Amino acid sequence: MMLRKSVTRSFGAAISGLDRSHLTDGVISRSKRMMLDTLGVGLIGTRTNVYHKALRYSQSFASRDQSQVWGSAEKGLPAQYAAFVNGVAVHSMDFDDTWHPATHPSGAILPAVLALAQVLPQQPTGLDLLLAFNVGIEVQGRLLSFSREALNIPQRFHPPTVVGVMGSAAASAKLLGLTPVQCTHALAIAASFAGSPLANAATQTKPLHMGNAAGRGLEAARLAWMGLEGNPDVLDLESGFGVFFTEYNPSEMADVGGFKWALESQNVAVKLFPAHLGMHWVAEATLAAKAELGRGGESDGRLDDIRSVTLRVPPSKYIDCPYPATEHQARHSYQFNACSALLDDRVTVESFGDALRNRPALRELLSKVRVETPEDNHPSFDKMYCDVVIEMHCGKRFVGRCDTFYGHWRRPLSQEDLEGKFRANASTVLSSEGVEGIVDIVRNMEQATDSSMLRLHLQMTTFIPVKGKSGELQHGLHHGADAIKDLMERRVAHKSAGGDHFVFLVHVALSDALTHMRAAQLADGRSGIRSVWVSVQRKKPSQLTLV
Amino acid sequence: MMISKLQKTTRSVYTMRSVHRSATNALPTLVQHAVVERPAPQETVTASFGRFISGLGAEHLTPTVLQRSKRMVLDSLGVGLLGSTTEVFELALEHCQQMYAPDYISSVYGRTGTKLSPTLAAFVNGVAVHSMDFDDTWHPATHPSGAVLPALLAVSDMMPPNRKPSGLDLLLAFNVGIEIQGRLMRFSNGASNIPKRFHPPSVVGTMGSAAACANLLSLDPSQCSHALAIATSLAGAPMANAATQSKPLHIGNASRLGMEAALLASRGLEASPLILDSVTGVAGFNAFYEDYMPLPLNLDKDKGHSFLIEVQDIAFKRFPAHLGMHWVVDAAASVNKLLVGIHSGTVSASQVKEILLRYINRPFPECEHQARHSFQFNACSALLDGEVTTQSFTADAIRRPELAALLSRVRVEHPADNPANFDRMYGEVQVTLDGGDVLSGRCDTFYGHWRNPLTNESLRKKFRSNAGAVLPRKQVEDLIEAVEALDDLQDCTPLLLQLQ
Repeated sequence: MMLRKSVTRSFGAAISGLDRSHLTDGVISRSKRMMLDTLGVGLIGTRTNVYHKALRYSQSFASRDQSQVWGSAEKGLPAQYAAFVNGVAVHSMDFDDTWHPATHPSGAILPAVLALAQVLPQQPTGLDLLLAFNVGIEVQGRLLSFSREALNIPQRFHPPTVVGVMGSAAASAKLLGLTPVQCTHALAIAASFAGSPLANAATQTKPLHMGNAAGRGLEAARLAWMGLEGNPDVLDLESGFGVFFTEYNPSEMADVGGFKWALESQNVAVKLFPAHLGMHWVAEATLAAKAELGRGGESDGRLDDIRSVTLRVPPSKYIDCPYPATEHQARHSYQFNACSALLDDRVTVESFGDALRNRPALRELLSKVRVETPEDNHPSFDKMYCDVVIEMHCGKRFVGRCDTFYGHWRRPLSQEDLEGKFRANASTVLSSEGVEGIVDIVRNMEQATDSSMLRLHLQMTTFIPVKGKSGELQHGLHHGADAIKDLMERRVAHKSAGGDHFVFLVHVALSDALTHMRAAQLADGRSGIRSVWVSVQRKKPSQLTLV
Repeated sequence: MMISKLQKTTRSVYTMRSVHRSATNALPTLVQHAVVERPAPQETVTASFGRFISGLGAEHLTPTVLQRSKRMVLDSLGVGLLGSTTEVFELALEHCQQMYAPDYISSVYGRTGTKLSPTLAAFVNGVAVHSMDFDDTWHPATHPSGAVLPALLAVSDMMPPNRKPSGLDLLLAFNVGIEIQGRLMRFSNGASNIPKRFHPPSVVGTMGSAAACANLLSLDPSQCSHALAIATSLAGAPMANAATQSKPLHIGNASRLGMEAALLASRGLEASPLILDSVTGVAGFNAFYEDYMPLPLNLDKDKGHSFLIEVQDIAFKRFPAHLGMHWVVDAAASVNKLLVGIHSGTVSASQVKEILLRYINRPFPECEHQARHSFQFNACSALLDGEVTTQSFTADAIRRPELAALLSRVRVEHPADNPANFDRMYGEVQVTLDGGDVLSGRCDTFYGHWRNPLTNESLRKKFRSNAGAVLPRKQVEDLIEAVEALDDLQDCTPLLLQLQ
């Protein structure tokens, strides 16, 4: 594989290398005919109904409606693109949840639901959000049950790009309050936006899959809302949603009366470190083997005495990567995760950074790893296991096994550990008030009358850099007190879902003038200050302070 | 005969359908699925989903669901927040901020002063191109231009005024986009036939757009590979959305998403370097095909490159419908001539007892998009009118009673020697008159097919009629000239300006 010249590269070289001199007269004249013709049909096409819908839809991007980008006080995007970037964020490290049959269900739904909620005329309640979210999850679960192929670790299409985009469309349709027919068309349109091949797993493009699932599902729902139609039998047809599976047996959704959620009978797995789910068995089994080695009275130095490390895992080509060259490959490498666990006694976010990844000790250890794929080890997250056998130069062998890692649906994380994971992750971006606020809000979400609290907290970053020229500094001073008052009411003083008052004291580490400008600027949605530090604190009601 | 009696009844389709099933038991298998294939009256899975999504209420949420989903929400937010510190996130974000903020940059066909961000302009213009199924068709089957040109024009709009591509640059990039589509389609035998699973423009079109944009943006070889690999993740839409409003979206998306892939690659985003290669167990581009045999595309520095468009010309449509309709229409038009001869200038449904159509099926189209994909509709229109034009697909024309009467007399056959392949198919129409006379017409190569290409004159006529629907006459003529002289154009701005 290393030596062979790849077809793909030859294509890249051709695309880049072709130049004018390669064009012949025949090609020029034919292509000009095609262009002329294409322009003409495009021009007359501007009079069609479907075109008007597409145009109107696209022009909506130029609106002032902006949805928030998570973890940022500044950046706002049109809803579908906010869903896109937030979806990319969720899957950027392969750290998000995994379901059975295999997909990452939440990353396609939540970014879409939150982005859409922000641009709705009336803010949905916390329960509305939960409902839409669950509709999105449920649709994914149902669709995954249409094919036995989906039970196994995938080989052709990356599941979030297949079922995720459908789930996002369903959730968005739900939030938009679409009619049954419109919901059907939302799914039909989403099917045309679905399906990315698995080969882009372990590359930067894999996170894009999640972003696209979220954004394009939202897009499909909005198109359906505008009246665009697709094939209303798309789920029934082999040439419809069936194209993504080799065998396909669609079945109807039960009536809402006797309805049972898939999430009830099948929980999700939550990862403790950012890598493909399969790695979690490997890491735990490796630690078990190392514990054996420790019990055998061997000191750490004895790692040098290892002759070989054998991993018995299910066959899956895309996570069998002996020498990962990038962080994304490392997240999809049985070998890498075993070696990291062996060296460090754990696998963490840092394990995938350049420094730890490129350690000579790790490289050395990688060369000793062998992967075996016993027949009884099925490539299914519900059935797989991992055995690790460490063999020393002296011939001694230490064995570790993992059937169900901590975080798997059969052995779920405690609430404490789950919140611990959240705090560790969120605090890399948010202030502690933001972090704790979100923990509270989500805890009481079904009681929240206004879901915008969640977004507010997602903006509570520790540092807000404001871009702009110093020459614009005067600008903010001209804004009236009303704007500032409005800011305080909308963004600072809030009643929480549980009824207690949240009051945020804004400390600005510069002058009052800057405080005012910053306030006016936030209220006005403009940017004119070079940089301001804002720390946001949660206080008791009696300590209400308006700056 | 039993069949013709049945066809004259106006009973509900459902009873007709069940009676017809028993009636056809005695007929040769060829005829079995002809005549009536209306959507089944029973509830579909899809509709049940639609109803479900709409009908579900908060009261259905159980404590377990609430609790579990909240955990998922919390966890998902956390990983998203941390994920916002990654490089790939930054790339995606920058991309969106530049591409999707309200940017009035790229022009929209036929709209003075309307501008969109470049990818969205590529999208809407791509939709425009395929909105009527009026754009070109290649062999193996795809609509190659609509995916490429809107993207290139939108990219050109994006470039600074002093660095606009020349006409030749544009032509080059365009051909790169076309060539790549042709090469990719030769990787699969299945691609030679009229597709059943994925709509080809959504597969190869996306790749072609990525390739064309990568070329116009002068990306390096590795970036070009990545552009294709990223585009693969954005490609592929199922055939089932053909004959719906979503089909034009396929071309719009091919154009937009291919361009997006090239722009992301230009920012340094990476994807699988083996995307086109056949790797067992990890599907790449072959995910879209049942058989797949990739071949390298080598560029010999000394020898020239042999473009596929040279050996395989393109088909241009004369009227806005699926290419297959053109055979049937030409065959039916020749029968129309005969009929007009017999019946002194008019054709009416009452003369016709039965129409035998040798090809595929959509017996009773209900909307313009279905009509563009119905052999029966196109045959009957041509039989009545002697031709099929843009007007044939207006709601009034579709709903004419004469047409409905004729449609009910159509029978479709699929002879074994008539493959679903634009290079080898034929269309045959046989009309049996009430008196028992049989008239027939056959078309092996319609006018506009690559074996019988439109003359420049016919092509310009088509353009004048299409463009003239939107633009003033002078501008239409200027455009014809601008494209004619494109390879001499130093700066493509005049072309861009003429399109609004």
